Amino acid sequence: MKRSVLTATGMAVVAALGLAACSGSGNGGDAAPSAGGTADTTPVTLNFTWWGNDDRAARYNEALELFNEEYPHITVNGTFAAFPDYWTQRSTEAAGRNLPDVMQFDLSYLREFNQSGQLLDLQEHIDSGAIDLSGFDETLVESGVLDGKTIGIPTSTNTLGMFVNPNLLEQTGVEFPDAETYTYDEYNEFIASVAAAGQSTAEGYQIYGAGDYTATFWFFVQYLLQKGITPFEEDGTLGFDEDDVVEYLEMTADLRANKAVYPVERGVALKPLGGFTVNESASEISWDNFLAGYVADSGTENIEITQIPSVEPGEKALFFKPSMLYSIGANTEHPEAAATLVNFLLTDPEVGRIFGTSKGVPADEEQRAAVETEEGSVDAKVIAYEEAVAEEVTETTPIPVKGFGTIEAKWLELGENLNYGTITPEQFASEWFAEAEMATM
Amino acid sequence: MTLTAEARATRTPASPSPMRRRRKAAETRAGYAFLAPWLLGFVLLTAGPMIASLYLAFTNYNLFTSPEWVGIENFQRLFQDPNYIQAWKVTALYALIGTPLKLVSALAVAMLLNNSHRGQGFYRSAFYAPSLIGASVSIAIVWKAMFIDNGIVDRAGQTLGLPAGGWVGDPGRTLPMLILLTIWQFGAPMVIFLAGLKQIPTELYEAASVDGAGPVRKFLKITLPMLSPVLFFNLLLETIHAFQIFASAFIISSGTGGPARSTLFYTLYLYFRGFRDFQMGYASAMAWVLVLVVGAISFVMFRTQNRWVHYSGESK
Repeated sequence: MKRSVLTATGMAVVAALGLAACSGSGNGGDAAPSAGGTADTTPVTLNFTWWGNDDRAARYNEALELFNEEYPHITVNGTFAAFPDYWTQRSTEAAGRNLPDVMQFDLSYLREFNQSGQLLDLQEHIDSGAIDLSGFDETLVESGVLDGKTIGIPTSTNTLGMFVNPNLLEQTGVEFPDAETYTYDEYNEFIASVAAAGQSTAEGYQIYGAGDYTATFWFFVQYLLQKGITPFEEDGTLGFDEDDVVEYLEMTADLRANKAVYPVERGVALKPLGGFTVNESASEISWDNFLAGYVADSGTENIEITQIPSVEPGEKALFFKPSMLYSIGANTEHPEAAATLVNFLLTDPEVGRIFGTSKGVPADEEQRAAVETEEGSVDAKVIAYEEAVAEEVTETTPIPVKGFGTIEAKWLELGENLNYGTITPEQFASEWFAEAEMATM
Repeated sequence: MTLTAEARATRTPASPSPMRRRRKAAETRAGYAFLAPWLLGFVLLTAGPMIASLYLAFTNYNLFTSPEWVGIENFQRLFQDPNYIQAWKVTALYALIGTPLKLVSALAVAMLLNNSHRGQGFYRSAFYAPSLIGASVSIAIVWKAMFIDNGIVDRAGQTLGLPAGGWVGDPGRTLPMLILLTIWQFGAPMVIFLAGLKQIPTELYEAASVDGAGPVRKFLKITLPMLSPVLFFNLLLETIHAFQIFASAFIISSGTGGPARSTLFYTLYLYFRGFRDFQMGYASAMAWVLVLVVGAISFVMFRTQNRWVHYSGESK
């Protein structure tokens, strides 16, 4: 124990000296770092953290092993947590100016962490070629730029999709509506008829068509876009009002009243799983990269992904959400090594193959090409879906307002209460706006 | 230990020799040296942060930018926040129902174990065990698995004619579930009760038997009054403890305080405000209101104790 502490300290000191020397030589004029990093091979230890489940951890470990083979002098300490805990850990570290060297980051928290310059501006490393973004779509890179600083680079893109469990459709004998043109009304009818079929699983649980989809904030954002409303204004305010919220929540009021949506009592007890992943609910709207997780959790390969419903037939107004950004803590002592790691994870084709579409469709061209798309595989389905809806992606990404994480969590909490019947849609709207006012100021 | 040391110190002559004085000074220094680790911990980890949080309670602080003074705004906001009111309701119910029930069961078990039986040592350990592991994360997970739909409790309940569906997802049954958990962890007060019971002179019971008193009368007229100092101590400790419930509620509600805010305990909500919503000022204000309320409750208990707590030997 003691020895390892000593070694680590020693290594840190050596590394600091090494970096100082490195920047000195950089000033000397021979700055020609290749995409593979500088020639400096002083041992360095980096802390790297991400959120996700065991499946993702296994993939990261595989990728980090590869990284270590190529850069034996850089040791990476990888840690991970579930999404909500992940942010309490990061915020505490930020308060102590002690963020990890490299982090997986989410769009919804960028604004908060940018407020006091906690995240390193990566532009310098992009310019130097240490991070090679030649295979990236430019607008995608821009989503990680705030106040002129590139503080995060997305690894991949997601878009919303409708997941359907064909086994359950067959059992209940209900047909899914025409995916190209169906509206929310038709989707609601579908949900009602699955519940009305009165079929049960082998364990005796009733089969439902879907949960109450209005309980998720991102779906509301998608609905607003379909209605032509801009959810977040440039100045960081909200582009909708309480009436919009109530109108949206009322869409499923009858389903809730008739107990035709997946029961919230069971959903709560199943967490972190859900009705769809235990094969008791026939459909669910979600981000398309969830397919890998759904297949792993539900134990059936037979899950299809198709288009979401819309307000007007066929007008989906989809958007690509940049997902799983990489950021570097401004407090890092090894910015070059950190940039090397980010570049490796973002652009190495082998890493692209390891992750497939589990983080979304890779942003880097070469990584995208490296994803194995065996017929019928999860990755093939997700890529086929994103290709199929490419024309429907008509909206630019709504950049979340400050406090997005809070208002998103609040929406979920109120949605649960709504399903328990302890609040009305009107109360939902007023409570949510009271919270949003505080969170976004 | 300290008492005997003091007693010896007072016995020392009024004019201490220089040698003695030097030794005393050395002893004082040694005393502080031994105290230092605790003192450092107290100042740096408890007192310091508490003072900092008192300041933060009057600011708007989101962890990322420096705190900004807002006066009593946080405290004003508290009472307009429906979740804050709900957090008090849940916590108060838990403390009001859970604490007395826990003490009653602790006393009952202590009285059963007070009689000499074979294997009594084993039973004492066995009954104490749940309290050792009760606060742990694993027990909360086991508890959740037991009360979930189609879990063991749900199935047993169904055979008794209770409605099916599990307790975890039913807002009406999550609080009872957590109260059951705290009652089950009666070990700590039980051990203290047991020690108190051993202190009651057996002559009192013998005399009462001679006078023809039954077991109920003996309990009411001898056991309870003689045990009242211990009862007071346990009541105070367990009440304060009840306000601090966090881990079990956090785990059983999957870190949400749900379903339908039925397990939104005070400390849980404080945590959400501070670490989920990044509103450290608001969370600090909440923490200080809790400190004041728990302090007030303790104060009232101390002030009323001479009406019902009987310390033997001090009266007359």
